[in-house]
Order: sequence, then structure tokens, then C-alpha cells
Amino acid sequence: MDKRDKYLIPLIVGFIPFIFLLLFYFYPLAGIFIRSFFDQNDFTFQSIFSFKFLKQAVFFTNFLKIFESSRILSIIWFTFWQASVSTILTLIVALPCSYVMGTFEFKGKKLIMTLATLPFVLPTIVVATSFQIIPSLIQDTILLLLNSQVINLLLGEHIKNSLFDNQFLNFLKNENPIIMIFFAHVFYNFSVVLRITSSFWSSLSKDMKEAASILGANNFQTFFKVTLPLLRPAIFASAMLVFIFCFSSFGVVLILGGPSFSTIEVEIYRQAAHLFNLPVASILSLFQIFFTFAMMLVYTRLQKKIAMFTPESERFSLKKPYSAIEKLLVSLSVLFIILLCGLPMVALLLKSIYYKGSLSLIFYRELFLNSSGSIFYVSPIVAILNSLMFAFITLIMALIVGSCAAILIKQCSYTDQNLGINRNLSINRNPRINRNLTIKKYISSIQILFGKLLEPLFMLPLSTSAVTLGFGMIITLDKPPLNLRTSIFLIPIIHTLVAFPFVVRAVLPALKSIPLSLKEAASLMGASPFRVWLHIELPIIARALSIGAVFAFTVSLGEFGAALFAARPEFTTMPITIYKLLGQPGIMNYGQAMAMSSILMLVTSIGFIFIENIRQFGHEGF
Amino acid sequence: MVMNELVIKNICFKNRESLAEATDKGDSEYILKDINISINRGDSLSILGPSGCGKTTLLRIIAGFEKPYSGEIFFREKNMSNVPTHKRNFGMMFQDFALFPHKNVFQNISFGLEMKKLPKKEITLRVQEMLELVNLEQYGKRDIRELSGGERQRVALARTLAPSPDLIMLDEPLGALDRQLRERLLADLCFILNRTINNRTKSKIVKTEEIKSRISKKNEVNKAITTIWVTHDHNEAFAVSDIVCVMSNGKVEQIDSIENLRNSPVNRVVADFLGL
Repeated sequence: MDKRDKYLIPLIVGFIPFIFLLLFYFYPLAGIFIRSFFDQNDFTFQSIFSFKFLKQAVFFTNFLKIFESSRILSIIWFTFWQASVSTILTLIVALPCSYVMGTFEFKGKKLIMTLATLPFVLPTIVVATSFQIIPSLIQDTILLLLNSQVINLLLGEHIKNSLFDNQFLNFLKNENPIIMIFFAHVFYNFSVVLRITSSFWSSLSKDMKEAASILGANNFQTFFKVTLPLLRPAIFASAMLVFIFCFSSFGVVLILGGPSFSTIEVEIYRQAAHLFNLPVASILSLFQIFFTFAMMLVYTRLQKKIAMFTPESERFSLKKPYSAIEKLLVSLSVLFIILLCGLPMVALLLKSIYYKGSLSLIFYRELFLNSSGSIFYVSPIVAILNSLMFAFITLIMALIVGSCAAILIKQCSYTDQNLGINRNLSINRNPRINRNLTIKKYISSIQILFGKLLEPLFMLPLSTSAVTLGFGMIITLDKPPLNLRTSIFLIPIIHTLVAFPFVVRAVLPALKSIPLSLKEAASLMGASPFRVWLHIELPIIARALSIGAVFAFTVSLGEFGAALFAARPEFTTMPITIYKLLGQPGIMNYGQAMAMSSILMLVTSIGFIFIENIRQFGHEGF
Repeated sequence: MVMNELVIKNICFKNRESLAEATDKGDSEYILKDINISINRGDSLSILGPSGCGKTTLLRIIAGFEKPYSGEIFFREKNMSNVPTHKRNFGMMFQDFALFPHKNVFQNISFGLEMKKLPKKEITLRVQEMLELVNLEQYGKRDIRELSGGERQRVALARTLAPSPDLIMLDEPLGALDRQLRERLLADLCFILNRTINNRTKSKIVKTEEIKSRISKKNEVNKAITTIWVTHDHNEAFAVSDIVCVMSNGKVEQIDSIENLRNSPVNRVVADFLGL
């Protein structure tokens, strides 16, 4: 590779993701920051450079005002509280299953793992919708059972009546939103804990346990003194991730929580979109950014610890269930996963084709008709088309931004190897060569530092909630030269911001896996750098690119929080239409919401199954 | 009469998968076929054979990690079939050392002593003694990840020796290291093992003698620890042991002293494998 290519290409390639991040991530965040500290209504590009806004600074008075409000305080408390309880519940449910998944190998295990992970990739709106119907479903089933003769025969009438008395039936009838929120969070995050800890569990080499037992430790001691301490970083890391997800839970709490329950995330939306109280929304956003960012930092540190603790021998020690107890354990956890992850999805599907006591596709047909005839009415089919269009634009933008970012990161980490060569050469006695080498070493160490900062930099948008991003965009990108408020591109841009880190994470390992010798061999045979890229690099990363593409597509299809902020009525998307349909009275609207959720669920599931199948073995976790 | 320390009687072993099928398709499914070995107290036996011949499986059966399909193992005339691993008081050095990454050097070595519920003072003394034995006196607080391959090997050895096991098994203890290091460390390993053997008979420090007697009273009469080495390198086997057992395809081809093996290998397989 000649010198020109070595520096010019990364410069051009790096320019795209940098500008993108600067304009659509840092600028909106700066807008939020400034809004929360300065009482300022016309915040523009010019005002930043003229320092005009400083004069209007009201500093911490806004801040204090908000944190004196008991309502806001209780919302903050609720956010932490529900996130902690959800995390603990998820751990309790998922850890036994991850023991089974991390220890045994059995037929259909991959299918079960895919099923267990599906909830995680489902759009929040779909999860919320399916959990909205679960209480009535359970109630119906129990009533059906009670009225049938089976229970009477089994328990006798008297016992049945005393067990399932009126109090119990009333309890069933009263919808308890907080329980449903916990359920939805466990359903949603079950796979996070399951995948991280079970893959870690299976990579714990069998030797460790055997070494402990030959040194005199019984099974109990081996578990508490060896296995558990080794698992601890994986458990903490997954718990941290679940906590972050529950902390910034939006769709689930907005829909299931009703007016009485609200997380910070939901409150940001309410303050900004319903009450137009932008200073309060800004300060809450700032609070949210600060906390998720701090937790993300803790998480990345824990992840490094996982990498350190993973035993060097990468032999997976999975065994077939042999004894009766082992077989029972496996079947129990398989049954549990099918019930936990499959039931809500099946319930949603059934509800969408069940109309007045029989199976019917009426809700699906209704999606394509404009029955209300109102001019403000946007028909569901338009929303579906909008969603597909946005997802397609997102896919293309995320691929461009994401692969440029990945190429840039890789280019910078290449110098890692160069530095190694330089070190060996620096023994050279000739002082002139030596000086040159020192300068080169200096440059490459700066590049390495830069490269190390790049990866977390491009992951930043992941740690910022979509609601915050949407909010930041509509308060900053609303004036020329960048007026995107009415633009068709606003939603795809936000979605790209959320989706492109996934593309980076998919493409980067593939890029890094290409040995330098392949490219050198090709160029020795006469291929120009472009042809090397076209014929060698592109085919190798094609698989990773398609994973990134599907990820971007499904993320865009299901994204709810940011779109709720940014979507204009004519550009409404599927999740927003579902939300609106859920809020309107009548069985027809409700049924259409179910039907559209089912469509969204199926599309996302197909995308996810596609990713799972082309993904190389061993890349579990997040 | 010399008492047999370890007797391996008619051991057969099948894979669990083929066990589950429950149909007997003949000899081809056996990983180990009718293994009979007996070792005297203090002997050093090498199990030698190409990879995949079942030598590690045999070691795992002796350790109690695997249950044999048929056959029995006697240690000091006691049937070990139903004795769980953690009650056998054997020691094993694993191929990749299996040092606990979440514990430091001291904690790794003291693990077996803690399992024996020794008082803290004795544990500290014993670990210090072990560290001196392997020449790593200052390494107690080091993290396992900071150690080089050779240092890890010595920590693994110290950890194996610390609880004074009745039998030591070494599963290709040098397999994970490069050739230069292997040659140097092999000498070290033999030296250290011999030193523990000598220490047992004429220990200068009274305290350690007390500890040892508490750890295992039987050992006082021992002249040495019985060791079993598993290796695929005949030079290594000849260097470390008195008796060599040559295995191939799950069968014992010949068990004999090094002299006899060299002079009269029973068949072609043995001769080929010994490079004769």
C-alpha cells in the first residue's frame, strides 16, 4: 500500500461518520445541554459562536426547581426501583436456564436459543401490546377452567369454592400494571442474561471444576468457590445491561403503565410532547444521558473483565443429558422457555385472528381500508409503506456510515502491528534512521490512541436513549441551515444513529479477520487497491454486511420512542400507528393494533432468524 | 512382599453416546479395552501412546472424573469405584494447568488445604514451603495472568503437591509449553518431585513434619509418592519413570521397565512407537 492510500483513504472514509455524529448526535445533545442550563429560546448555530446565550444563563435555578418537585422525584425513584426489581427478577428466572444451556447439549437447542432471543429483538410496542392482552387471557383461561367439570372432579366443589373465592377472582379482574411491567421486562431481557451467562458458563473449562474436585472440593464447594466467582463478572455485566434497558424503558411503561406509572424516559416525552415544557424535558434528558452513560461505562469495564476471566482454553465443555435428573432439568427449562417466550407471541397472533368467537382475517383486511373517511386519518397501509421506506433509507445510510466507521477503526488498529515492527527496528545504530523511527513511533502511538478512542466513540449513540435523541433533534434541527423538522429524512437519520453502531459491530470483526497477507498476495498478482477491495475484502465481509443490513432494517421498523417525537402525521410509522390504534376505543381499532403488531412481529422475527442462521458460530452475547 | 499401591482391573470404557445407544456393536466402540495395570508404592509409571489412544481417559477414570463401563480400581486394597473424586486424596496436574484465574498464586496453592479444613496458620506455612520448593518464594500475591508458562507450570505443581496427595497424576504436564522450555522444565520437575520425596523421609523442620502427619498419617511410612505420567513423547517417559506402559487403540501393548522395553519390545507397534 503506498503512502497516499494509507492516509488519504481513511481521511475520506473517516469524514463521513464523523460529520454524521457531529451533526446528528453531538449537536442535538449540546442543544439539550444548553436548554437545561440556560433559559434560552432561540438557540442556533450563530448563538453558540457569539456566546450570546451566556448572558441568559439561569444556571442551576432550573435544575433546583425541578428537583424540588415531589412528582419528578417520585418518577426518578420509580425508575430506579422498577429497574432494580426487574433486573433481580430477570436474574432469578434466567440463571437456572443458563446453567442448563451452558452445561448440556441436546437436539433442538439452537432453536430454543433462537426462540429465547426473539423477545429481545421484538419492537417494544409489540411486547407492550402482547402483554396488554395477557391479563385478560389468563383470566379467561382460569374462568374457563373453573367452569369446566375437570376442576370439580379433581378438587371437589367445596374446595374449589374456598380456593378460588371472590377475592381471588377480583384480584384477577383488577389489572395490575406494575406486575405486567415486570413481566414484560423479564420477557424482554431474559435472553440478555441467558445468552451472556450461558455462553460464559459453557466456556468455563471443565478442567477448573475437575481441578477443584481433585483438590478435595465437593460439588457444593466447587460451585461456590470456583464456578460462581468465575461467573460473577458475566452475571454482573448482564445484570448491568438489563438494568440499563429497564432504566430507559419507554414503550412498555408508556403503554402498560398508564397514567399512574412513568419512568424518566416516559416523563421526558410527556413533558415535551404533551405539556411543551421543554426546560424540564431537557433537564430530565440530561439526567438520563448522565446515568445511562455512567452505567454504560461500568458495563464496558465489566465486559473487559469478562474477557480477562475467560479461560484461555476455548474448549466448550457441553455434555449430553445423561441421568434422569439431567434429562428432567433440560426438559423443564425447555418447557419454561417455550412458555415464557412463546406464549405472549402466540397470544398476540391468536388475538389478531380471533373475532367474535371465530377465526377471521377481518382485522388484517381492515388495515387496508380507510373506513373512517377522515382527511386527518392516515390509513394503516400508508404507515406500513412509510415504515418500509424509512427502513430502507436507514439500511442504506447505516451501511454507509457503519462500514466507513469500521474501516476507519481498522485502519487505525493496523498501526498496532506497525509499532511492533518499529520496536524491533529501533535497535538500529544509525542515529538518523533511529530518529526517523522515533518520529514514526510517535505518530503511530498517537494513531493507536486515536484508534482506541474511536470504537467507544462510535458506540456512544447506543448508550443514549432514542427518546432523548428524538427530543434533541427536534429542538435543534429546526432552523436553517439545518431544518429537518419537516423533512422526510428526519426519522431515517435518527434510526441510522441507533442502527449504525450495530453495523460497526458486525463488520469490524470480519474486517479485522482478513489477514494482511491476503491483500498482499492479491496486489502482488497485479490487483489495484480498488480491485483488492472489490475481489478480496468485499466478498469476505459480505456476510457481516448483510447481518448489519438486516439489523438496521429491523431496528428501523420497530423503533418507537424517537419516531413518536419526530414523526409528522403524514410520515407516521407502524409502531406509532399501533400506539394510536391502542388508544382509540372500539374492538376494530384494538384488533387492527393486534394485526399490525403481528405483522411487525413476524417481519422482525424473520429478519432475526435470518441473522441467526448466517452468523458464524460462537458469536453469542451482545 | 511389596504391597500393590494401585491396581487397575479389567477396565473397559465406552463413550457416553455409544452407551446411550445400548447396543453392543463389538470392540470398535470401546475407548479402553480390558486394561490391567498394577503399580507398587513409590513407583513412577509412564503411560505412553499416540494421541487418541485412551491414555488421558484412563487417567480420568483413575481420578474419578469418568465412570468405567466395567472393571474396578483398587487403591491400597480399597475399591475406589464408589469413592467420589474429592474424597480420593489424589493429585493431578492438568495439561493446561487449570489454575483458577480468579485466585492469586497463594490462593491457588492453598485451595486444597482449605478443603481439608486446616487451620490458617498451617496453610500459610505449607504454602510458603511449597513456594520455596518450586522457587517462587516472592510470587504469593501475583495474579495468575501475570505468570509465564514455566511459572504457571510450577504453581500448578505446587498446588498439586500442597495437600500431600497419595497419588500424583500428571497429564502431559509439559504439553502446553514450547520445546526449549520443555527440556529445561522437565529436569526441574523431576528435581522438585525427588526433593519432596526426600523431604518426606528426613524433614529438617519439625513443624512441617507435624503438618504432614496431620494431613495424612499414612504417608509417614511412605518412601515416596506414587506418580503416573501421561505423555506421548518416549524421551520424556524414559526420563521420568521406572516403568513404562505403552498403549495404543485403547489397549495396553506392554508394561515393563525401561531396560526391558528397549531390549525386547513385544511387538511392532511398541518398537515403532519407541523409535527403535
